[in-house]
Amino acid sequence: MIYTDMIEIEKLRKADIFSGTAIFCLGVFAVYQAFQMPMKDSYAGVQNVWYVSPALFPLLIGSTLALLGLILIRTALKEVGVQGVKAVFGYLSSTAFADFLKQPVTIRFYGIVLNLFIFVFLLIPNIDFFLAAILFLLLFFFMFYCGFDERLVGLISKIIGGTFILALYLISDLADKVDTFAYFSADILVIAYIFLLIWHYYQLVKESELIPKFKLSLLIGFLAPFTIGIIFKYFLLVPMPHEGLVVSLLDAIWYAEIWS
Amino acid sequence: MVVLERIETFFEIAAGMVTDPVSLAILFGSVLLGIIFGAMPGLTSTLGVALLTALTYSMDTPMAMICLLAIYVGGTYGGSYASILINIPGTAAAAATAMDGYPLAKKGEGGRAIGLTTTASAIGTTVSMLFVVSISPLISNFALEFTSFEFFLLAFFGILISGTLTAPDLVIKGWIAGFLGLFLACIGRDQLQFFPRFTFGITELESGIEVVPVLIGAFGIPQIIDVLRSRTTMPRAEKLQRIIPEIGTVLKNIPAIVRSALIGVGIGAVPGIGEDIAGWVSYGTAKNTSKHPETFGTGELKGVIASETANNACVGGAMIPLLNLGIPGSPPAAMLLGALMLHGVTPGPMITFEHPTFILEVAAILLLASMAMWITGMILAKQVVKVLNIPTPLFMPIIGVLCIIGSYSLGLNIFNLYLMLPVGVICYFLTNMGYPIAPLVIGVILGPMADENLRRALMVSQGSFMPVFQRPVSLLLFIIIVLTILSQLGWYKRLIDRFKAKIFNKSPSRQGK
Repeated sequence: MIYTDMIEIEKLRKADIFSGTAIFCLGVFAVYQAFQMPMKDSYAGVQNVWYVSPALFPLLIGSTLALLGLILIRTALKEVGVQGVKAVFGYLSSTAFADFLKQPVTIRFYGIVLNLFIFVFLLIPNIDFFLAAILFLLLFFFMFYCGFDERLVGLISKIIGGTFILALYLISDLADKVDTFAYFSADILVIAYIFLLIWHYYQLVKESELIPKFKLSLLIGFLAPFTIGIIFKYFLLVPMPHEGLVVSLLDAIWYAEIWS
Repeated sequence: MVVLERIETFFEIAAGMVTDPVSLAILFGSVLLGIIFGAMPGLTSTLGVALLTALTYSMDTPMAMICLLAIYVGGTYGGSYASILINIPGTAAAAATAMDGYPLAKKGEGGRAIGLTTTASAIGTTVSMLFVVSISPLISNFALEFTSFEFFLLAFFGILISGTLTAPDLVIKGWIAGFLGLFLACIGRDQLQFFPRFTFGITELESGIEVVPVLIGAFGIPQIIDVLRSRTTMPRAEKLQRIIPEIGTVLKNIPAIVRSALIGVGIGAVPGIGEDIAGWVSYGTAKNTSKHPETFGTGELKGVIASETANNACVGGAMIPLLNLGIPGSPPAAMLLGALMLHGVTPGPMITFEHPTFILEVAAILLLASMAMWITGMILAKQVVKVLNIPTPLFMPIIGVLCIIGSYSLGLNIFNLYLMLPVGVICYFLTNMGYPIAPLVIGVILGPMADENLRRALMVSQGSFMPVFQRPVSLLLFIIIVLTILSQLGWYKRLIDRFKAKIFNKSPSRQGK
């Protein structure tokens, strides 16, 4: 599936020069690191011999990677020549490359990767899982299900803005200080962000044919995290990565004496 | 006597599963889930097994195996739905099915085609199950003779052959992917001296990288990025008529089915080669041996039978090296290996001693899964195809959440996610640059085995490599490895061509004399 839009052969060979160089560098790095490991000298009171050294396998792997990287570069250079490399550098400094960076398909890629990284590195460790997942899903649905490419740049800039504020709030002492008198302040901030996002998107689509898709996005965006989260938390007994406002509420309901 | 005992144990296990309502419910549920996963373009059986690994973590091993094998079997078969009805393969394994399945659906015979794929897939899985039962003890006994050199060479061979056969572009890229996997496997404290390698002072890396989150990242994240980025709109599915089991057509094509099943088992048993290659090879063979090859591609039933029997037979084939040597035969089998390790089962030659009935359990599950798949396919196919109407931008982000919470739940470690996501994004770029992912994954899995066995072997031989040439199996493996490498070199190819040309030129001159 992924191969279907695999860049064509000539472009592939040009890319091979760079990927081959990266592989070669990785191999050299592995070899260098391996030489820092005990080879024949003693480690933890044990006198080493070369064939039981922890460096043996990394040396083998590193040198093979470096060799394969060089072969790949040679193969690619044989096909596209030095001219090909020059053409790549020319392309990288041209307006065509700048245009490529602005193409819808590239912007979609930024949006996907940005949302994934924000979810994993910022939301998951700091925000209640349910809220984090709702925000993650809604952003994806607004980007790709009930949105179109023209709105993507605007949405991505809003994501960056919101993330910046949230990150600043979490990194500074502010979150800890506010939490002393108002619990789950970061979660509340995310709830506000989610509702602001919904309201803003509703304003954009309210008079278009996207309204049914918008409603479905909201429904699934809220329903899916609760279904997944409840299965993991209460049936598989997996503690959530960060348990905040929603988990506390659910715990209060799930373990309420009323059920016993 | 031993054979009779094994048969008796096999049926006892199967009967135990059939009479246990929970096992039965899990079997049918997982098969159905697998079919849905396979049917939805963008979701694969590998991803299905990966996600279910997290869900089955708290189950006991036999129950987890029912779940995982059933989703594997169902997922491999489910790919045919999208191939037949919308001409977009649900999984790569079903790509060859689209060649004749879609023309059949266009002719208004979609129900017939799905009935045929259901029966052919069930037969393929059952035949492969027979191979798992009959061949496994032989391979297992043979593998008991292996020493560390053989295991090292076997791991090396697995990575090399997987890289050679799965590379969509240059073969060297397949090898690079394999060695990248081996490099990732080096991270952490080494098994013999506990020296920290490539940890850079990060304590979470000391115990090495967790295999399952890396596998989820490698298979799941590129898929999510690719599907959402390309924003493909699904064509309207062809109308589906009554599903007919097509037993008559199947009976008429028994020799072709047996041939396809053998191809599937054979390809499945080669390390790292998946169901997609089995499907294409079988389809190609069916076309080449047909009296009317021109009918292939126009709705030929034999084409559908060939690809579907082979891709499902591959499931059992992939189990043979996995269970007996600890080397996964296909990407979903690599996920299964990760899951087995989580459950404390270490596949390899010792499996028959450590878990005497495990292989029979796997065989029984494969048999029951193929039956469950046939029943589910016959009854629920019409309902399941409705999932083809679900837009991909709606379910792919949910899969993303599942990948993330699934990776976290295996070990309750957020660091797993910090590892999974970058690995996934790197794998996305690698895939787009023509590097296959299967060898990388196999490298990550086989890395520790290769490292440990290489050093252990050298320890025994006091640093000498001579045992490689003194032991027949290791010598054979060494020769195969060398030939595999040589076969990719230009001068060797030219030498072989010259050699062939000489032989062919000499023959006519002799005749002339």
